[in-house]
Amino acid sequence: MNKALYGIGTALLLALALVACSKKEAAPVATQPAAVAVTGVTLGKAIGADKRVTAPTDSFAPHDTIYAAVETQGSGSATLKAKWTYHRGDKVAVVNENSQTVVATGPAVTEFHVSKPDGWPTGDYQVEVYLNDASTGVHKFVVK
Amino acid sequence: MANEDMPDFSNVKSGASSTATRIYEVVSGDSLSKIAKREYGDANKWKQIFEANRDLIKDPNKIFPGQKLKIPAL
Repeated sequence: MNKALYGIGTALLLALALVACSKKEAAPVATQPAAVAVTGVTLGKAIGADKRVTAPTDSFAPHDTIYAAVETQGSGSATLKAKWTYHRGDKVAVVNENSQTVVATGPAVTEFHVSKPDGWPTGDYQVEVYLNDASTGVHKFVVK
Repeated sequence: MANEDMPDFSNVKSGASSTATRIYEVVSGDSLSKIAKREYGDANKWKQIFEANRDLIKDPNKIFPGQKLKIPAL
């Protein structure tokens, strides 16, 4: 009887050992934070304390301050640039360029703004937003 | 000369701010209060910049061109 129990016990131990050995170690999951990415750009005449545009628009008056709020996701250091241009036919004039290096730890909003004391000439404008020197898109607006 | 009939944008004023910490590179003639005035509109906020950069700045009266300071969001 003892021999039989001993045999069963040994068999169970062997079976458990086989099951344990057959389990694969879970591969470690890479937990590097996602790099900063631009998720949206909104234009408007004013921003709130959270840096977001309070009333989005793409039409401005000559004496408006024009804001571009750039929303980002991800973590790390990144350089954002806003390049503002004026367009008349096939002619282009650079209005302003401004760069900001930010160290994000998650979702963030960075706003760029421009104003012209003697008023904006009416016409077509655009702002192009760059992330680390790569364009993320062009956003057109008018002054009238 | 292609843009000679284009408007003059030389007097355009610009600025920026962020909910994330920004990086500012010190230039000759800067002081923490000057940077605070420019970045926050209040020279008295230099202490916030000093506290955010204690690893770089030992004496708040001594900052050097080329230093990259963290400008915390307020």
